[in-house]
Amino acid sequence: MASHGISRGAGPVVRSEEARQKELQQITAYRDLADLVSTKMAERQYTVQVLGQITKLLNENPEYYTIWNHRRRILIALVAEEAPRQSPDELLQGDLQLTFALLRKFPKCYWIWNHRNWLLREGEALMGAEAAYKLWSGELQLINKMLHADSRNFHAWGYRRFVVSQIERLTPSQHGGSQQSLAESEFEYTTKMIKTNLSNFSAWHNRSQLIPNILREREADPQTRRDFLGAELSLICEAINTDPFDQSIWFYHQYLLSILSPSCPPHQLVVQDLTNGERQGYYEHEMQYIREILEDEADCKWIYEALLGLAEAHMEVDAGTGSFTTKDMRAWLDELKRLDPLRRGRWEDLERRLSL
Amino acid sequence: MSLVSGPGRGGMAGMPVEMQLFVDKHVSYIQSLDTRKDELEYWLTEHLRLNGLYWGLTALHLLGHAHALPRTGILDFVLSCLHESGGFGAAPGHDAHMLYTVSGVQILATLDAFGELEERVPGGRQKIGKFIAGLQDPETGTFAGDEWGEQDTRFLYGALNALSLMGLLELVDVEKAVQHVHSCANFDGGYGTSPGAESHSGQVFTCVGALTIAGRLDLVNQEKLGAWLSERQLKNGGLNGRPEKKEDVCYSWWVMSSMAMLGKLHWIDGDRLTRFILQCQDPELGGLADRPGDMVDVFHTVFGIAGLSLLKYPGLEEVDPV
Repeated sequence: MASHGISRGAGPVVRSEEARQKELQQITAYRDLADLVSTKMAERQYTVQVLGQITKLLNENPEYYTIWNHRRRILIALVAEEAPRQSPDELLQGDLQLTFALLRKFPKCYWIWNHRNWLLREGEALMGAEAAYKLWSGELQLINKMLHADSRNFHAWGYRRFVVSQIERLTPSQHGGSQQSLAESEFEYTTKMIKTNLSNFSAWHNRSQLIPNILREREADPQTRRDFLGAELSLICEAINTDPFDQSIWFYHQYLLSILSPSCPPHQLVVQDLTNGERQGYYEHEMQYIREILEDEADCKWIYEALLGLAEAHMEVDAGTGSFTTKDMRAWLDELKRLDPLRRGRWEDLERRLSL
Repeated sequence: MSLVSGPGRGGMAGMPVEMQLFVDKHVSYIQSLDTRKDELEYWLTEHLRLNGLYWGLTALHLLGHAHALPRTGILDFVLSCLHESGGFGAAPGHDAHMLYTVSGVQILATLDAFGELEERVPGGRQKIGKFIAGLQDPETGTFAGDEWGEQDTRFLYGALNALSLMGLLELVDVEKAVQHVHSCANFDGGYGTSPGAESHSGQVFTCVGALTIAGRLDLVNQEKLGAWLSERQLKNGGLNGRPEKKEDVCYSWWVMSSMAMLGKLHWIDGDRLTRFILQCQDPELGGLADRPGDMVDVFHTVFGIAGLSLLKYPGLEEVDPV
């Protein structure tokens, strides 16, 4: 019903009588199977045979959420049998394979992701923490494959964060040491994804989520934290220089500026003891760098937006700055209006807010 | 999304052809949806039937053809999806789930049929309210879709929307739900499915909608979110759902309704967006698609038309952005 990206073709589709008959046969076969499954479930025939019919039905229509519920009802009944024909592990592996194959075909179907999540949670209840740890760890491979096919897949990124949290929860703690999270390797993964494609905002976003954990786990001292911030700023400046028209990059740049601000919530701070003098230093450095890019890219609206954002941040910590003038700000705003007429209303509001 | 009655605003006479909305075609397209039983697609989408009915009905109301579908038939169908538990399934025989319960309640509200609900299912309103309230996670304040446990801010919004339509918000811990939404906020001002998840226009709609219902828009970083939402508009006038993604008609609703709730609709170019939405019409058989030239469906039809309503397209009824 919600079709995406399927071409309509020219004019109304006229089916031949042959095609119509074929479709009617398909409908009959599909409805017969759906009715059969419904009847068996109403009769509470929670058997391996019905599970097989459900597999067939889900392959034809993985969006049919009630059938996934039926599947879970049968699985619960099968593992609770007195003399089970299949072990929980065998049943689970079968469903992991089914959902993997279906996800390759339907990577955005909520119900498939949801079933997989349920399987692993049930797996822990049935087989214990050690087995669950292995199962959750294995999920990262599936997610890597899914993100290789579509590096922005919303479901895959969300599931990734959940899987990581489960692995971390189940990681046996080191002798006397603190529990190690996956923050470092996940951070590395975002670096890899960004280097493959700078536009991958999903990776930039996840990076921003990991940073506070990394610094906490490294027990980073104030200097290390400053070095870390410096490295992130260099990375994003290089990215800006590569493609100043990509908004993913500018949003990450905004993130880095937001954690410099005195109004940043404490748990998100990268450097906890920044002085206003240091803040000004960062702002001036960024401004200078971005103004240099301007020389080659005078028609990139993101540059003017960033300059105005920096100017505002600068004024928050130092009213009497000498690195830019109100006249500069006026000129940047005029450029925004010129280059970005779609958002004219926004620039007019900004003009009023900054009293330009 | 619900309907408010608005004054009629002239017709489309004298409108250039590229600015025309093919109202009659869209009405007949929606009327035809339940007659397509000889197409496999009809059966493969049964799990969306109740949502589809809500989308179609809402589109007809916006188009000023509220009575183009038979009221009694709709009511009979909706109530045939209601379970003893108080939840609705997508169609008779389908399990109860938040997504369909919200559509069921929205249809009943649109038809002004809560009285008939009580006549036919005594205590029905309370029952539905309890089903929804039972899905709130007492620890985090968010909501699950059903007994199997999937949680998402979509379900949280749906719960608050349906409960507020029934006047039963007191059945849940609204403050806890609000705090959960707040914990889903990102540095860019947007919201995701759960804490830590990437901002997405659809989830922004659900979170801003939930906060609007709760009267807590003060928690939103309105400057940042407004800016992020305005950047969803691309050169062709259409809106996307996340940075560096393609445009799609359905975001005309998710993005613009959020901007309307924040009072920032003027931060994008409404005229360009109107033209983009109109290009997505099927001028022959009616309906709207995700992008020009693609296959139409009722989902994109309603969200395109609702977008046009927010843009004050002449002749359309006014839509409530929440």
